[in-house]
Amino acid sequence: MFFLQLRSELAKLFGKKRTYIGFGAFLLSQNVMLLAFRYSNWQNGTAKLLESNGYLATEFISALTVAVLMLIPQILLLMPLYVMLVGGDLVAKEAEDGTLRMILSRPISRFRLLFTKWLTGVIFAAILVVSLGAMALFFARCWFEWKGMFIFIPIPGGQTIFNVLSADEGLKYYALAHVLLAVNACTMLSLAFMFSCFNMKPAAATILALSFLFLSVVMEGMPFFEDWKEFALTHHFRSWIFVFAKPMPLAQIAESLCVLVGVNVTAFVIGATHFHMRDIKS
Amino acid sequence: MIQLRGVSKQFGTRWAVRDLDLAVPRGEIFGLLGHNGAGKSTTIGMMLGQVWPTTGELRICTHDITRHRAQALHRVGAIFETPVFYDYLSGWKNLQILSHYTAPTPPERIAKIVDWVGLTGREHDKVSKYSHGMRTRLALAQALLPDPELLILDEPSDGLDPEGIHEMRLTIQRLQKELGLTILLSSHLLNEVEQLCTRIAVLNQGKKVFEGTLADAKQTKQWVRLKVGDFARAAASLLADQLITDTRDGSLVALADGVKTDALVRRLVALDIPVFEVAPEEETLESFYLTLMHDSRAEGRKLKAES
Repeated sequence: MFFLQLRSELAKLFGKKRTYIGFGAFLLSQNVMLLAFRYSNWQNGTAKLLESNGYLATEFISALTVAVLMLIPQILLLMPLYVMLVGGDLVAKEAEDGTLRMILSRPISRFRLLFTKWLTGVIFAAILVVSLGAMALFFARCWFEWKGMFIFIPIPGGQTIFNVLSADEGLKYYALAHVLLAVNACTMLSLAFMFSCFNMKPAAATILALSFLFLSVVMEGMPFFEDWKEFALTHHFRSWIFVFAKPMPLAQIAESLCVLVGVNVTAFVIGATHFHMRDIKS
Repeated sequence: MIQLRGVSKQFGTRWAVRDLDLAVPRGEIFGLLGHNGAGKSTTIGMMLGQVWPTTGELRICTHDITRHRAQALHRVGAIFETPVFYDYLSGWKNLQILSHYTAPTPPERIAKIVDWVGLTGREHDKVSKYSHGMRTRLALAQALLPDPELLILDEPSDGLDPEGIHEMRLTIQRLQKELGLTILLSSHLLNEVEQLCTRIAVLNQGKKVFEGTLADAKQTKQWVRLKVGDFARAAASLLADQLITDTRDGSLVALADGVKTDALVRRLVALDIPVFEVAPEEETLESFYLTLMHDSRAEGRKLKAES
């Protein structure tokens, strides 16, 4: 029964056109960025940076390098928006449309309904991240050669991740980074899902979750909160970048993962508790 | 099938339902009447475990809905005033999805229900292409999927054209006759309730102001149409003599218990009031309902004034 219900939730989610907006936006933005990489001054700048560090530039301006570079703006701007758009819809849209009342006239418990909805959202978030990574790699490969990977990512706070990797190693770390990105996406979804469980419009749930994220970014960037930055969610969202660091800070990544899993559980419990207590009316 | 004992629901400081007792026996078509905001939908919400009661006990199919929701709703179907579905999916897919929240339903069962409600041939069309009538039929189909014993219909004829209303009435009658279902029908359409229901309950401002058979409702007061020279004077005298208990519409009087029309005529003649016509007025559900509402409003005003 549980799998039938999960299948139903997936059919509802993937039957909606708006679910695919994120995929379409990624497709478009990736190709625009690729055009910019191919025909702008970016390649010369990267070559200079590599050669000043003693590396042969032609070996590292590759599909993998470009794919990682393309990920950054998409993860910062597009991914939260599309994941939270779906997360905010999961419960609030059904409540607004009235279909939730019809479902809850059936003998399914509210907790079970919420769990299947949340799991559907998690599956969506994971598929979105995997598609994002696969599309980035595929389109980058269409324009650039398959060679070693070069990583140069400055992080707020003065730290910079710099590394050069072989193509095989780079691909392995690229895949691992996507596992962590999927956890980030799930956390963003859980936040929006939590607000969605309250009596509010779907757009309000999405906006509240996005505001929470922006607040975290702003607080993390203020010197006053320097000692508290580990309490900022966005601080832990950055763990995927550290996969490419040399040596890889495993303890820091594990800590961030634990925090994110904790946030997921907390958001679900808060949402489920409120949803259980509220009255579902037309 | 449905039993409510001392059920109340408070939203903030407002009582939506207050101290409601209700019993719907198996096999009946039970009408729940009341104006907008009377508490009908809140009561139905509580019956389906969607609204938590503030106090009281609700039993559906012998199970306590707040404690054993799954067992209570296992063989219950419900339709709400505006049938809403996943418009971007087909009618068939909607039925499949909704059936999964109760129990796995074989395609043969879905096909049988689709045929029963008369949607065969259109079941694979997207719901966005359905007319209001077809949506109502689909709503009925989803309610029938779990092979219900009890059907809760909240304003099922809302938004339907006269032909649709007629069709819905026939369907409800068929459901009771052919499938032996117990039906709770909440409706504004008094004519529909009059034609369908065997028992009714009337809610006003969250309180039950009447419960009984339709015959009881019609016999609560014996109304007589009275055409006289001076109706106001005649009514005042008859009320003072306790020959009548109520007046309505400037020409109707309700006879007191045991009083016959001849006593009225004799008294009016004695008062020298010319009498042109005395005829019994058949009580309709509408007139009963309007009188009930008028009486309970007057009582409410009286209590307010006293307090």
